[in-house]
Amino acid sequence: MRPNFATLSVACREKFQGGLGPLLFGFLLKGGYLLPLLFLWRALAQGGADLGGYTLPGLLSYTCASSLLAPLLNVRSPMSNWHYDGRLIDLLRRPRPVFIELVAQTVGEWVPTLLLYSLPMGVALTLLGVRVLPQTLWALPCLALGVSLGFAVDFLFSCFIIHMKDASWVAHAIRAAVTSLLSGAVIPFDLLPWGLGRLFGLLPLGSLAGAPLAVYVGARAALPTLAVQAFWNAALWPLAALAFRRSRERMVSYGG
Amino acid sequence: MAGNGIGMRRLLRLYALYARMDWAWLRRDTRLGLLVMGMDLLTAAASASAVFLLAWRFDGVGGMNRWDVLFMLGYVVCVHGLCVLFFSNNVGHVSRRIARGQFDHMMVQPLPYAVQLLTEGFAPFTAWQGLACGLGVMAWALNGLGRVPGALWLLGLAGYLLLSLAVVIGMSYLLGALAFRWPVACEEISSTVVDDLFGVLANYPLSAMPGAVRMALLTVAPAGLMGWFPACALLGKPPLGLPALYPLLAAGVIWGLAAFAFRKGLKYYAKTGSTRYRSYGHR
Repeated sequence: MRPNFATLSVACREKFQGGLGPLLFGFLLKGGYLLPLLFLWRALAQGGADLGGYTLPGLLSYTCASSLLAPLLNVRSPMSNWHYDGRLIDLLRRPRPVFIELVAQTVGEWVPTLLLYSLPMGVALTLLGVRVLPQTLWALPCLALGVSLGFAVDFLFSCFIIHMKDASWVAHAIRAAVTSLLSGAVIPFDLLPWGLGRLFGLLPLGSLAGAPLAVYVGARAALPTLAVQAFWNAALWPLAALAFRRSRERMVSYGG
Repeated sequence: MAGNGIGMRRLLRLYALYARMDWAWLRRDTRLGLLVMGMDLLTAAASASAVFLLAWRFDGVGGMNRWDVLFMLGYVVCVHGLCVLFFSNNVGHVSRRIARGQFDHMMVQPLPYAVQLLTEGFAPFTAWQGLACGLGVMAWALNGLGRVPGALWLLGLAGYLLLSLAVVIGMSYLLGALAFRWPVACEEISSTVVDDLFGVLANYPLSAMPGAVRMALLTVAPAGLMGWFPACALLGKPPLGLPALYPLLAAGVIWGLAAFAFRKGLKYYAKTGSTRYRSYGHR
C-alpha cells in the first residue's frame, strides 16, 4: 500500500503547483455553475411542473451532490493527457502496474477538490437547508460501482485517444461532450423528454452519475441500479484491460 | 514591425492567406479536419442540449417558452461558432499563447500584435459549421415563433452577434493577461472563461433567477450577454429595463480594461520573457 500512498501524495501536491489562487478560483466557478440549475428547479417547481417523481428538495440535493461528488461521478485519470504530453512513458518505467498507478494518481488529484470544495460547500449547503447526505446507505455501493466503472470507461477512452494519435485533443473533446449529457450528471434522466431517460439509464455512461445520484436522493430503487452497474463493470473492465494491452505498442507521443 | 499602421487591403490579404492555410490544413489531413469539424458540432450540440431538452419537456423554462429558449440556444451556438471561425489557433484562448511563450514568435513578425491576433485565427474551411448550425437553429425557432425577420431585425441580430463576440473575446483577453504574470497557474484561464464560464452559464435562461444574480451575470461575469440578453432583446423583451444597447457599453468597458491589462502584462513580459525556455524545461 505504501507506494500507492506515495503516488497519491505526490498527485495531491501537484495540484497546488500553480498556487492556491487558481484552485480557489476554479472552486468559485464550480459553485457558481450550481446557481442556474438550482434556480431553474425552483422556477419549475413554483410553476407547478411535473418533476418526474422528484420533489424540489430532491432535485436540489441531486444537483448539489452532483457538484460535490463531481470527480467521482466523471472519473478522469491523467492517462489521456499524459499520452498527449509524453508523461505516460514514466508510468511504463515504474515497477508498478500502470492501472494501479493511474488509480492512485487520480485519487490523489481528487483530494484537494474534496477537501477544499466539497467539504466546505457541503457544510454551507446543509446550513442553507439543502440535504447533501445520501437518503440511503445503498448509495455507497452504487457510488463505488460508479467510480469503478468510471475508471474502466476512462481507460477505454484513453485507449481510443492512443488510437487517434495526433487527434487526441479531438477525442478528448468528444468524450467531454458525450459524457456531459449521457452520464446524467447535469439533468436527472427522469426529467428528459421522449423517454430518453430510460434509454440513457441503461447505457454504460448512465451508470456513472445518473444512476448513483438517483439512488443517492432516494428517487430510484437501489437493487436494479446496482445490477445494471455490476453488469457494465463486468463487461467493460475486461475490455479496458484488453484495449490497453493492445494500445501499449501503438503509443506515439511527441511531448511539448 | 510591431506598432506600424496597416490598411484594410493588407488586412483582407492576410485573411485570404489564413483562409488558404486553413484549406491546406484540411487537404493535408482531411480525416483529422473532418473529425475536428464533427467535434465542434458535437460539443456545441452537447452544451446546449441539456437546457433544450428541459425546455422541450416543460414547454419552456423561466418565463421563456420553448421556442424562445431554442432561439437563445441557437444564438449562443452562433456566438461560439463565430469565436471558432475568427479566433481559432488559440487566438481566442490567448492565455495559452502567453503562457507557452508563443508571444515570442509574434514579436518577430513584421505586423502589429493586434493585426496578427485579428487574422491568425481565421479558419473559414474548418470552423464554419458552428455558425451554420446556430443560424439553422435560430431559423427553426423563429419559424416556431411565427416571426418573419425584416432587414432591420437582421441588422440588429448581426450587431448583437458582434457585440457578444466582443464580450467573450474581451473577457478572455482581460483575464488571459494574468498569464503574463503567472504563466503556469493561468495557462488555461482563457479556456475557463470561453469554454466554461460562457460555455456553461450562457445556455441558461436567466429569467428564472433573482435580480441580483441576473445583474451579476450581466456585469461581473457577463455570461448573460452571450445569449440571454441579446435573445430577449431580439424577441422584443429587453430584460431588466436595460437599454437595448447595453451590450455595446459593456463591450466597451471590457475592451478598455482588457487593453489596459494586456499592455501592463506585455510590459512585464518584456522584462521577464517566457518561462518556456528556461533550463529546467520546455514549459
